[in-house]
Amino acid sequence: MPGFPSFRLTQEEVIFCITVVLIGAFSLFLPKFLTAGNILTLLNNVATLGILAVGMALVVVGRGIDLTMIAVMVIGVAFSIWLSANGLPFGWALVVGGLLVIMVGIGTGTLVAVADVPPIFATLGLASVVYGAGRIVFKSDVVYAPTGYDWFTFLGTGTIAGIPVSVCAAALLAGLVALFLRKTRFGRFIYATGDNPFAARTIGLPTRPVIISQYAASAFIAFLSGILMCAVVSGINTRLYNSTLIYDVLLVVVLGGIGLSGGQGGVRNVIVGTILVGVLTNGMTILNVSFTAQNLIKGVILLAALAIDAVLNPRDEQTSQSGDI
Amino acid sequence: MVSILRKLLLTGLVLGGLASATPSIAADVQQVGREAYLKALKGKRVIFVPISQGFDLNQAWVTVWQRHAARYGFTLEVRDPNMNTEAGIRALTGAIAEKPDLLIVQNPDVQTYARQLKQAQDAGIPVLQVNMQSATQTDSYVGNDWIEMGRLEMGELAKACAKGKGPSTKVVWLAGVETGAANIYMRQGINEVLAANPDLQLVSDQAANYDSDKARQITATVLQQHPDLCGVMGIWDNAEVGAGAAVAAAGKSGQVTIVTNGAGSQTGCDSIKKGLLTVIYNFHADIQGEIAAGQISELLQPNRKAASVKDVFFGPITRVDKTNATDRNCWTLDELK
Repeated sequence: MPGFPSFRLTQEEVIFCITVVLIGAFSLFLPKFLTAGNILTLLNNVATLGILAVGMALVVVGRGIDLTMIAVMVIGVAFSIWLSANGLPFGWALVVGGLLVIMVGIGTGTLVAVADVPPIFATLGLASVVYGAGRIVFKSDVVYAPTGYDWFTFLGTGTIAGIPVSVCAAALLAGLVALFLRKTRFGRFIYATGDNPFAARTIGLPTRPVIISQYAASAFIAFLSGILMCAVVSGINTRLYNSTLIYDVLLVVVLGGIGLSGGQGGVRNVIVGTILVGVLTNGMTILNVSFTAQNLIKGVILLAALAIDAVLNPRDEQTSQSGDI
Repeated sequence: MVSILRKLLLTGLVLGGLASATPSIAADVQQVGREAYLKALKGKRVIFVPISQGFDLNQAWVTVWQRHAARYGFTLEVRDPNMNTEAGIRALTGAIAEKPDLLIVQNPDVQTYARQLKQAQDAGIPVLQVNMQSATQTDSYVGNDWIEMGRLEMGELAKACAKGKGPSTKVVWLAGVETGAANIYMRQGINEVLAANPDLQLVSDQAANYDSDKARQITATVLQQHPDLCGVMGIWDNAEVGAGAAVAAAGKSGQVTIVTNGAGSQTGCDSIKKGLLTVIYNFHADIQGEIAAGQISELLQPNRKAASVKDVFFGPITRVDKTNATDRNCWTLDELK
């Protein structure tokens, strides 16, 4: 391409650069931005978002999309709280909730892998089924966690070596999923299935079990992030299902450079995307930018990132045919 | 002997009197106006379009109204759009087309339903608005005096964070949805208090979107910038528990005064007891519901023409802190049934 310098940045690198520029600008103009306390707060504020995005990444890498995550998160946790209100010890209630959530994930995966329903429709439909079923059981949007469980309080307010537990949990989970994707055979299967499901099936990979387990994993990861959120604010707001949270999760994944066409990217992309959203939100909150304007700015940045990526990495015959949503 | 005779005679007289009096009581006594009242309500059809039935306040109102409806024989249908304004407009348009005897509306903001409400009034349907007003005034509004609510909450912070009283004079306003009537009016009340107390510094003014996690995130971020923060005020107790969680996580539980308002449900009282909230201005959704029930009866009367009179009824507001977070200030739904 004449007139363009010969180096190429990936989208992940573009986002990384934007993040660095933002951090630099905020540090210059906001006196208390670059303090340990604020950075930890920033990370703590995006910990649940990051966990959700890791789960979403697992599915997107396998050329799917999971729009049930928020519904599963809020209803799974609310269901566990409901069980504990009916006498089951809270720990066991969470175990039962977790099993139920995995079942839902398997159901979603089966719809996608066996019934061949396009993932965007399967998960969109299932999300409202899950949420609707929950709404019949729990009348209130906000469900409060039971009190008197020290381990649960620790999850929400505790720190490990000065770092909030939710940040540690997010880091641990991201590490585990990264190892799983990069180092295990099953992880490679996910890439292969996402890159070209037909080729993967032809060479004998178990594509259906791979797809089903992805959705089971993303549902379970959503549940974990719900537990953390519930621990932090001592309750769960099921109305989050109606919020823009699921789009924020997608924003993080796409922003970080995981193509919706599957087969590319990994946990590192999610981390870069999450940190950009965290920095942006933190800076705008300090600057007292209104909620509506914040959403607008986030949207503009997403579009800008996609536009920059389209210029730097132009689409070719292969990418335009690979089933982008 | 004479006295016994006299006693017998007296007893006979009394019994005779009773026997003759009783039938006439059973047959004819009518409580004044009751017949007309029963007739006005019986078989009528009321449709309620809420913002969402997931809120504690909505559940309290509907519980009270259903009791009222069951007793006096009218029907109450709830068309819940579950926070979706598009669905809300559809529900409202559909309800207007059905020509109910009364429409009850809780507005998501001042503009969205303004046209539909006018259409309803033009079509002769009486409209009762509850707690969240529209730009269109209709037959009746029952709910909070939101400007007063803003003044009360910021007034609380003006006291706690006056110069020399608190750790600083810095306060935060965690709004709900910026275009909501409650927000707009509360902001007016807040501005009045801020103007009267120039020392108070409003260091952050952000919408938490009625979400506890968002409230927590904003408060945690602001606390990093202003570690000497004195007060936070919000708009709904179920969201401001997140602000309380952020303050507790920062180890500043005694330092920051957290003021909000709420429907008066038990969960709000629990949050005060847990130390997540300092003060709730309780607007008693149950009593609001009773006032609105009175308005329902009024608006169903045959001689009341739609939009002929425009009433406003403000419900009670009680200041609740840990000394009085009990009994009548904390209802549960079961108690209202």
